[in-house]
Amino acid sequence: MQTRAAPPEKRFYFDIKWLVIGAIILFLTVFQVFPFLYLLLRSVFSEGRFSLDAFKRVYTYPLNWQALVNTVVTSFFSMVFGILIAFPLAWLVGRTNLIGKKFFRSLFVMTYMVPPYVGAMAWLRLLNPRVGNLNLLLQHLFRLDRMPFNIYSVGGLIWVLTTFYYPYAFITISRAMEKMDPSLEEASRISGAAPLKTLATITLPMMAPSIVAAALLVFVSAASAYGIPSIIGAPGQIHTVATRIIDFVYIGSQEGLTDATTLAVFLMVIANVVLYVSTFVVGRKQYITVSGKSTRPNIVDLGRWRVPVSAVVLIFALVIVIIPLVSVALTSITINLGNPLSPGNITFKYWERIFTRKPIIFSARNSLVSAGVAATAGMLISLVMAYVLMRTTVKGRRIPDFLITVGSGTPSIVIALALIMTMSGRFGINIYNTLTIMIIAYMIKYQLMGMRTVVSAMSQIHPSLEEASQISGARWVRVFRDVTIPLILPSVVAGWFLIFMPSFYELAMSTLLYSTDTKTLGYELFTYQTYHSQQTASALATAILLLVILVNWLLNRLTDGEFSI
Amino acid sequence: MIRCGKTVRRLVLLGLALTMTLVSCGEKKPAAAAKDAAGEVSGKLVIYTSMYEDIIEKMTQTLNTRFPKAEIKFFYGGTGTLQAKIAAEMNAGKLGCDMMMLAEPSYSLELKEAGILHKYVSPARDRLAFEYDSEGYWYPVRVLNMVLAYNPDKYSLGDIPHTMQGFAHDPRLKGFISMPNPLTAGSALAAISALRDKYGYEYYTALGNQKVMVESGSVALTKLETGECKVIMILEESVLKKREEEKSKLTVIYPDDGSVLIPSTIMTVKGEKSANNNTRAAEIVTDWFLSEEGQAAIVGGWMHSVLKNYDKLPYDAIPTAKILAASMPVNWEKTFRQREEMRKKFEDNVTIKKAK
Repeated sequence: MQTRAAPPEKRFYFDIKWLVIGAIILFLTVFQVFPFLYLLLRSVFSEGRFSLDAFKRVYTYPLNWQALVNTVVTSFFSMVFGILIAFPLAWLVGRTNLIGKKFFRSLFVMTYMVPPYVGAMAWLRLLNPRVGNLNLLLQHLFRLDRMPFNIYSVGGLIWVLTTFYYPYAFITISRAMEKMDPSLEEASRISGAAPLKTLATITLPMMAPSIVAAALLVFVSAASAYGIPSIIGAPGQIHTVATRIIDFVYIGSQEGLTDATTLAVFLMVIANVVLYVSTFVVGRKQYITVSGKSTRPNIVDLGRWRVPVSAVVLIFALVIVIIPLVSVALTSITINLGNPLSPGNITFKYWERIFTRKPIIFSARNSLVSAGVAATAGMLISLVMAYVLMRTTVKGRRIPDFLITVGSGTPSIVIALALIMTMSGRFGINIYNTLTIMIIAYMIKYQLMGMRTVVSAMSQIHPSLEEASQISGARWVRVFRDVTIPLILPSVVAGWFLIFMPSFYELAMSTLLYSTDTKTLGYELFTYQTYHSQQTASALATAILLLVILVNWLLNRLTDGEFSI
Repeated sequence: MIRCGKTVRRLVLLGLALTMTLVSCGEKKPAAAAKDAAGEVSGKLVIYTSMYEDIIEKMTQTLNTRFPKAEIKFFYGGTGTLQAKIAAEMNAGKLGCDMMMLAEPSYSLELKEAGILHKYVSPARDRLAFEYDSEGYWYPVRVLNMVLAYNPDKYSLGDIPHTMQGFAHDPRLKGFISMPNPLTAGSALAAISALRDKYGYEYYTALGNQKVMVESGSVALTKLETGECKVIMILEESVLKKREEEKSKLTVIYPDDGSVLIPSTIMTVKGEKSANNNTRAAEIVTDWFLSEEGQAAIVGGWMHSVLKNYDKLPYDAIPTAKILAASMPVNWEKTFRQREEMRKKFEDNVTIKKAK
């Protein structure tokens, strides 16, 4: 797959890379492997001896069964639809002469930067079966005798989950498409195949491993989402495993905790099965798609389809991204949500509130710190891992890679539960109620997105520069710092944000891990959304979005378009 | 290379600038606790509470003026969230707070039984209009009132029942009602306990048939505003707050068959199990909350006072005595002992989707 740097040495010598890999493995063993195993054990040893009582109790209760079925069904369809949306979009944006493709790219990535539960609230107002704005509009337009959509349904849940988790697939697939070697496609085109035929017979099969990885990401994210099902599902009596787990934890008793654990095991098992299938069955069919030299994929001319296709993408963007986001922004300045937006019904006091209220500022700072540290530490590990994976043949280099993949594949709630149970002092480490436990949880969950970005960037860089540096006498660390990192810096920045953003507004894990001094923005946003004031929550969400847009714009300006999220 | 170096520097500068901006938005850290002067409150006190953030903010300002030497901090959470947290902390042997102002007497009974409460006989107890612990482990401090509410902009009062019974049975409301979750809200648990005592478990079945949406206050109020719900079961304070602050038209219906009054309690954690072991300060703060001045802060937060013969009323509310006379009684001991049974019945009837 890659040109390797140097042939492995025959005689024994101490390699500093072992130390680095060892440290990463140690970190993952303590904070990931051990907690996960403990969680598994506890579900069958809840009363000090082996017993399947908890399993019987939890899995024979009809509400839990419904939740299991709902979870599998909604995540499966969100995954299917997510891929069906993400693949064509990634292809259109990355490989064709679509009008405004740069704008669309930023727009689709943008959804990744918005807290999903805020989007859920927007959809709830747009598509509720009684007075949903979009529903009313459609009813009026098409003279229907009843509302066309009901958001409080399994279909509604799938819709919202899909619109908020397809960006995971979009990002993953886009990246793979960018690094794909276009010569095969060129060969196909030269041999007379039409663009669509080339897409179906060359591009699609070559992309299969990335599509599978993207599907897994969407599936697991949807299965462990808490915000969306609790807002959209609960009113329609549609519960998922994640909402049940949080309910069980909120019961507050030891039995509640055991039941939560037992239910969490289900999520863990299912995620791992999917992971196994994708990595070892489908993933084995690796195509050699990346050549040593840097390549720029050819652009497919859409011809007379260019305008109609662009129009379709625009409509899609309007419905999926722009309408809900604008609706959130408008909510933040509306006094009475039951009345139309008129001069008398507008206020900026919710905006004033988010900049003056101490708990919000305090939580924002906590999130900034924990997400910042998680992203930075995550990127450091990713960089080292990318180097070790792509440039060396050190033994055991696949172990951390595997562990990181398992971590990200594990539902957030399971990670949080496992950490609470093992890191509260019972086994010598007590980091419960600190920001550290948040940082570790975020790293376990989101590290993979960062690592994949860096690995893919590294694979595009020919090792000759590094070799030159090495020959000139630079040691490993120096080569890494002076040659490798500067070359892949744009991807490092992008990867940093891919870890930072979801950590910044993370909800499911923070809900279980927060304490008096470590409330996070995600938790704050969710409480405002559900308990205090939806307008304040909307203002906060809009502020986050504006900040992301601003940072993206600044990055673009300062680096002459070289860097963007 | 040089270009990249410059880029890196620019990026670092940008990052720094952003961090500085965000961090400087924050408040300054309060000065360290002052030394204890006799009878005065000083040092730290952390209070777990389920009062709304807006009310907490106002109350913190009042407390800071009243006790300038103390550092009193509220920590907000829904009752369920906090109960889960407290359970975890009790396991660890130490709580993250010194006082609690949350839930209702049934939870106080549970904490008293668990032996984590500090005993204090407050001189203010003789003026209380509501039940308190005779040994001094807990006192009512604010009265919540579970009522019905509607939106006159969208529906007329004539189309809406005026009773809790009608809320669960009137066919005109089917699919148009919402109520809080007894699993996460103490007041909702109290309400379903009182309603069961009055109407039996049949009330839960009726709620299920009525397709009630179970969700939290802010979501329900928005649904009332947009007309998605016709009537909601909600705490009076949430509606009054909206009426005063946003000049909202949403209106409280005091049900003819009684609203459910919930005297939420104030408790102090035993010194050795508390976060700051500052029980004397906690006692003084308890007395203050039960005083006329403290109660004024409560009433300012749209809740009713617990004192007898106390004139102040929350904005737009009807007199406490009148509500009390017509209210549905809650048996706190039973609510405590049968909590799991009620939650289970509620889940079976309301939360689970039934086959058509």
